[in-house]
Amino acid sequence: MRILVAEDLYLLRDGMVRLIEACGHEVVATASTGPETLQALLAFRPDVSVVDVRMPPNQTDEGLRAALAARREVPGLPILILSQHVEQLYARELLADGSGGVGYLLKESVFDADQFVDALERVAAGGTAMDPAVIAKLLSTGSPSRSLDRLTDREREVLALMAEGLSNQAVGRRLFLSESAVGKYTTSMFGKLGITDDEDTNRRVRAVLAYLNSTTSP
Amino acid sequence: MRLVGAWVSGFGRSCAVAAVCLAVPSTWVAAVALGIWWGAANPWSWPAPVLLVVVGTVGLARPVCQAVRRLVARWTGTRIPGGYREAGPVTRLSTGYWWNGFSYERTRRDALMDQRWRVRWRDPANVRDLRFVAVAPFTAGLVAAVPPVGLALAVLGLNESQLFARLAGALGLVVALAAAPFAWRLLEPVAARFLRPSPAMALAERVDELTAQRADVTVAQAAEIRRIERDLHDGAQARLVALGLSLATAQKLMDRDPEAARALMREAQAGATASLAELRELIRGISPPVLSERGLVDALRALALDSPLEAEVDVRGEAAAELEAPIESALYFAVAELLTNAAKHAHATHARITIGRDMAALVVEVEDDGRGGAEVRAGGGLDGLRRRLAVFDGTLEVTSPRGGPTRAIIMVPCESL
Repeated sequence: MRILVAEDLYLLRDGMVRLIEACGHEVVATASTGPETLQALLAFRPDVSVVDVRMPPNQTDEGLRAALAARREVPGLPILILSQHVEQLYARELLADGSGGVGYLLKESVFDADQFVDALERVAAGGTAMDPAVIAKLLSTGSPSRSLDRLTDREREVLALMAEGLSNQAVGRRLFLSESAVGKYTTSMFGKLGITDDEDTNRRVRAVLAYLNSTTSP
Repeated sequence: MRLVGAWVSGFGRSCAVAAVCLAVPSTWVAAVALGIWWGAANPWSWPAPVLLVVVGTVGLARPVCQAVRRLVARWTGTRIPGGYREAGPVTRLSTGYWWNGFSYERTRRDALMDQRWRVRWRDPANVRDLRFVAVAPFTAGLVAAVPPVGLALAVLGLNESQLFARLAGALGLVVALAAAPFAWRLLEPVAARFLRPSPAMALAERVDELTAQRADVTVAQAAEIRRIERDLHDGAQARLVALGLSLATAQKLMDRDPEAARALMREAQAGATASLAELRELIRGISPPVLSERGLVDALRALALDSPLEAEVDVRGEAAAELEAPIESALYFAVAELLTNAAKHAHATHARITIGRDMAALVVEVEDDGRGGAEVRAGGGLDGLRRRLAVFDGTLEVTSPRGGPTRAIIMVPCESL
């Protein structure tokens, strides 16, 4: 994969580049400020980009803004946001366009290289990779909309794990179910949510978005 | 019937105003009468009337002014602050003597007595009170005396048989009837004009207030810094030491026992994750990242999303443009605390945060659907909140009847744009 790394702290940027290259992927560009990030995103159109939220020149949310602006230009441009803290507010903004190919994780998720690369690949393929804390908060608050009310508890559990970005196999492992059982749950869930696309990734993304958007509207 | 009631109450009020305002002049009249009775030609009779005038005026000035304040507050709702000096604390020194802010005394009783006299007689408010008792008889007192005097004239005149006296009595009755509902009303403007604390007194009060606030802030700041230091010392710092230890041990074991080394590395990784989570919590408590990244409104939105309540944020107009960072932070933590209270103590399920700007203040309102009963107690959470807001001249008002809902309004004055 061709990957862009946007991070203002040299140590972290360097470490991230080394990790990605060690996993056999190519870093096509690096950026250390918000405007640079936007420029690189649009110029290189990487397969997936790793972007920090807080960056120069103002040390506010420049990275996130660059990512959102780039995705307005190029809908679905895969971007994985890495941050020192996760905010539901930002998660909603990232997911708002409904085109998938977004991730939002804590920086320490790079500690587990395999899972990190896995998340990168999922986002590159148009899926999602959301921090479990965001999902947990969504689960504990808000009132699900009427269409979600029709889901069983088990289906909702599956949906929450799907929102984290897990595959059917991984969901099955987490819930001690067989992969085919998970498949059955997802199919019945898609039916209840009225999602009829053929392609599985797309359906998964739309189900997750329906789930995220159903909780207290932003 | 209502007309009669209004007239009676107006007449009563006029009499009360006349009595209060004319109390001091009546001592003057008494003094003059005393002087005449003793004979003005005899110089030995002079000191007693003079003493009566001085003691009557000075001694009655403050009670009269207090009575006027009470009457005005009760009848019109206008509160006129007294602005009198308050006595400071009386403390016992290590020498055994008592210090009252002015002098050393052997006993506590002496110290208190001495202090009471000094505070009373050195108060700049005395001059203002004297001025008021000089002005009031000729303004509010004179006007308020019209109905009782008119009534007295009527009673006396109508009993006489002469036509002139009867006419005067009838005139007195008409004047008394017409003036009674209005005659006492001059008291309010006169009191408002002459009884207000002078700018110097207001300033002195403000200085006291600021001194107390500065002490509060200093204490709070020191406590906060100590908390941060302790958290870092026991948390992140200790974890980093443990991390270094694990890595050093792993390095030693690498060749001899790779399996144990790998376990240690995993442990180190878990330690790093844990200390990051701890640091994140700590940072959130000092200055929430979303606040510096997005400003107050979005930070409140993030807060609402994170809250266990179903909370919504309603922004009216250009509410929070260009606020100073310390004010933003204070408002953020205030709302966070109010939301926590709503969830924890009021058992609310919904909350609404409204943020807007009126003429001169930024107004943040937090309303929940909980069971109410919240009150501002000295030393309680809401009191602490109020003190922290007071640093910016902000105020906190809480209305929370039993059974709910609770409504808290924070106002911070700011230059209107």
